[in-house]
Amino acid sequence: MFFISLALSCALAAQDESTMREVSVAAFRRIGDTGLQRTTLDTLVLHQNVALSMSDILTQHSSLFIKSYGRATESTVEFRGTSPSHTQVLWNGMKINSPMLGTVDFSTIPAYFVDEANLLHGASSLTLTGGGLGGAVELATKAASQPGLGFQYIQGIGSYKTFDQFARFTYANERVASSTRVSYATSRNDFRYTNYDKKVDERDADGRIIRSYHPTERNRSGYFHDLHVLQQLTFKQVLGGTLDASAWYTHSLRGLPFLSVDYRDDRDFTNEQGQDAVRSVVDWQRALGSNWALDARAGYAYQSIAYDYSTTRTTADGTQPTANIITASHSYSQQANLHLKADYMPAADWLLSASLDLAYDHVRSHDRSPFHIGDNYNRGRMESALSLAARYRPTRRLSLAAVAREELYARDLVPVIPAFFGEYTLLKGLVFKVSVARNYRYPTMDDLYFRPGGNPDLRPERGFTYDGGLEGSMRRTLFGGRDGSSLSLKANLSAFDSYISDWILWTPNAKGYWQPSNLKKVHNYGTELSLSADSRLPRQWTAALSANYAYTPSINQSEDLDAADTSFGKQLVYVPLHSANLSLRLGWRRWALAYQWYAYSERFTTTSNDVSRITGRLKPYYMSDITLEHRLRLRRLQASVKGVVYNLLGSEYVTVLSRPMAGRHFEVFVEIKL
Amino acid sequence: MKLPFNHIATFCKLLAALALLAACSNSDPGTDEEPFDAQGRGVFILCEGNFNAGNASLSFYAPDTRRVENAVFQRANDRRLGDTGQSISLRGSTAYIAVENSGIIWAIDAQTFRVRGQLVAGQTAHMTNPRYIHFLSDTKAYATDLYAPYITVFNPQTMAYVASISTEQPSAFGYSSTEQMVQYGHEVFTNCWSYSNKLLVVDTRTDALTDSITLTSWQPKSMVLDARGKLWVVTDGGYDTEEDSFGDNIPHLYRIDAATHTVELDQALDTDEGGVQLATNPDATVLYLINNDVYRMDITATHVPVRPFIQAERNSRGLRHKLYGIGVDHRSGEIYVADAVDYSQAGVVRRYTSEGELVDEFRVGINPNGFAFK
Repeated sequence: MFFISLALSCALAAQDESTMREVSVAAFRRIGDTGLQRTTLDTLVLHQNVALSMSDILTQHSSLFIKSYGRATESTVEFRGTSPSHTQVLWNGMKINSPMLGTVDFSTIPAYFVDEANLLHGASSLTLTGGGLGGAVELATKAASQPGLGFQYIQGIGSYKTFDQFARFTYANERVASSTRVSYATSRNDFRYTNYDKKVDERDADGRIIRSYHPTERNRSGYFHDLHVLQQLTFKQVLGGTLDASAWYTHSLRGLPFLSVDYRDDRDFTNEQGQDAVRSVVDWQRALGSNWALDARAGYAYQSIAYDYSTTRTTADGTQPTANIITASHSYSQQANLHLKADYMPAADWLLSASLDLAYDHVRSHDRSPFHIGDNYNRGRMESALSLAARYRPTRRLSLAAVAREELYARDLVPVIPAFFGEYTLLKGLVFKVSVARNYRYPTMDDLYFRPGGNPDLRPERGFTYDGGLEGSMRRTLFGGRDGSSLSLKANLSAFDSYISDWILWTPNAKGYWQPSNLKKVHNYGTELSLSADSRLPRQWTAALSANYAYTPSINQSEDLDAADTSFGKQLVYVPLHSANLSLRLGWRRWALAYQWYAYSERFTTTSNDVSRITGRLKPYYMSDITLEHRLRLRRLQASVKGVVYNLLGSEYVTVLSRPMAGRHFEVFVEIKL
Repeated sequence: MKLPFNHIATFCKLLAALALLAACSNSDPGTDEEPFDAQGRGVFILCEGNFNAGNASLSFYAPDTRRVENAVFQRANDRRLGDTGQSISLRGSTAYIAVENSGIIWAIDAQTFRVRGQLVAGQTAHMTNPRYIHFLSDTKAYATDLYAPYITVFNPQTMAYVASISTEQPSAFGYSSTEQMVQYGHEVFTNCWSYSNKLLVVDTRTDALTDSITLTSWQPKSMVLDARGKLWVVTDGGYDTEEDSFGDNIPHLYRIDAATHTVELDQALDTDEGGVQLATNPDATVLYLINNDVYRMDITATHVPVRPFIQAERNSRGLRHKLYGIGVDHRSGEIYVADAVDYSQAGVVRRYTSEGELVDEFRVGINPNGFAFK
């Protein structure tokens, strides 16, 4: 049946060039999905409210672990118990991992700037890029889909003097579509918390303690000002194809909160990180005939990050302020890249793909404080990758795919990266998938060149992974179809087994700085489960549920450093064994009530998983957020009012030692839309 | 057009109901303060913890019973020690702990481990990251600093700030941090470790800098005074990479006459894989040096022996483990060597006789780096 519909699709496509591309690409995509372990987050999930970053969304709606240093501070994403640098991130097809660190700070990506997000677990990431030993996150922004002019403005006002502004202008006609988004968020972010890491002693005149208590403190130096501007343009009928152009500018200034065990006065210090970034992508896609699709993309990204830590103290006589610059670390990175891809469908059951990626990264990093000499480094690096893929559907139920990837970093050739995928339809709506792959991650620029410490002799990290799972979906009519009542269900269960060797780890050395080396060997395995249900019910009720669970043992198998080393066979630090989340959404007419719950099991802070040292573990925690929304319609004007309670039960928790998180707090949003 | 006020009112009521639902809170999970009564001999082991993790801790070891208690500061006081415990010093019945990245110096009772007082950065004019403490008297002490070019003068009895001594030096890097201190007569010597090759001399009568000694090697790391009034200083040699150099990566051992400030001996050591450190035996006639392994030499010797006194363990690939700290019991002469293992798990302390025989081995906190003996 599929082949008939596919053949019909292709025949129809051949008759109408404007529809041809969509149909062909749809057919490619279907066979192109062979064996993929992919989680898709749609716009409804991504656009819950304008104050959320991608790290918040992924925490609430995926099985990934988000390591967050606090509200509006660095948040990184880990697949399947790997490290943040094992997560490759693409925005509109362009890799946006920092060439210095190999990571992406998801707290700096506003979820309202993303229209679609795909999470590709394990080997599946190799269909996009190499180096994703844990997986890949694919983010996409879209131009306007509605013809004509559109305008949307959202104002959020929340706790801790938080103000979120978001505006979007859209325009679309038959040939051009445009979308302009601006968001500006500011907050003092000085939430109060009970500091259980400190205790105040009140003493009498004789120095005897008369009362001790854990003080209530504020999150000092946690302010942020984040500005984002995103312009997206789509031109149809450009050289017979579609041209998408997108540019995203970010300006961010964030205070870096003090540790809960810091006794210094934040008014004496400047401790902040400034960031300016431009990311731009031009992408042209065209279908040729009924069986070719071409994609050419060019991208450029610039990022400057300044970390400044200084004190301004008065002199002994209290007259002259003196500035003592402790850290003035500034880095500038530029990335230019070109991507060419061709898909060819010689027959309805074959899809062949080839892609070539060329990229040039340049980093200049220095520290102007007196505690540092010279540039950290000033280097460029050429990267190239060739990927070949063949996908074949020998029977109606069976699909197979093979991907081979070759990557070149400067003059270092990474061994061929092979991946194999298969899927078999057991029943209608129930598919069994498997994949197996070898993968390599080349060291980052900091790993190789940062001075002092960079190690030019590092080897690429090597990964081997295989997984298998079931994906099922069904749709049923409810209540005899009254008022369009229906229920759709989706479920995905997968199990994976991965080995990473030559894991690059930075450790301190005798000179007071850190050095990377190929130290670790890690065995990751576990299961991932996701469920979603979406229903329309009589009398304009709707209900939706989604849930994710991950079990991720991530076991150190490195050789003992000495007889005292007890880290062998232990869970990696900060990787939870269990993580889960649940999201419920209930709608009635113009009302919507949403509830998010997410939980992490305990995390160890030492490689030996020793919990007898008090600070050796972070306690399990769960969090709840709740949202109530009411939509209004006043002639052409659509409006909504939304109230959110974050951390509904006021949980007191940390996700990283000495980094307290915000308690219960609130935000109200008003939205107007034309 | 009728405005939907009734809807807005309903919205507000529901939102208020949600807020009410949320109005329950977690209770204080704090632990009680645990009583301790550590009488007799004992060894404090300061465990630095991991930078920016706030997991510094204090262990206490009773040599007679071979019993170790870990995290005694937190258990006794129901609060954390802080971030990056740098040094511990004893004066009478009080232990003073400089916790560098918390900007605090704790004074605790050496028997109950309860806090007697503290000096925090905000009470002083300049203290930022306190590193080491040196007592001039019962009422006067110096505290060196990693980032502030000042030595803080304070009263260790009242933990009150007294004054600051500027240590700013004209150098290529415009900066002079200060580290360990030893006293000879009225002069206190302090080594400038971070990006420096200087020792500074402070006159304790005037609390002013009077002299400096420039070394041929970079980053003086550790310093002791021997029985003959000679200052022994070991540098870590800075670093030297393919494209950048700040030193030559070769540690040096110096002997300096404390009276004349002249360098009498300069010996290059093995390239350092761990941290260099110095200690003396109780009567300061024997020098102990960590330079990958532990070496012992008489203060009259003119070079470091070829064979190590205590050899650091090697794993199956022959990699030598990094020793992180050394202390000598001023009563028994026993030597305590700290092993940080992988810097991210509970470290190990090994206790040796003065002849280098292993007596005991025990686990402490993360990155043990300092000892104090009572």
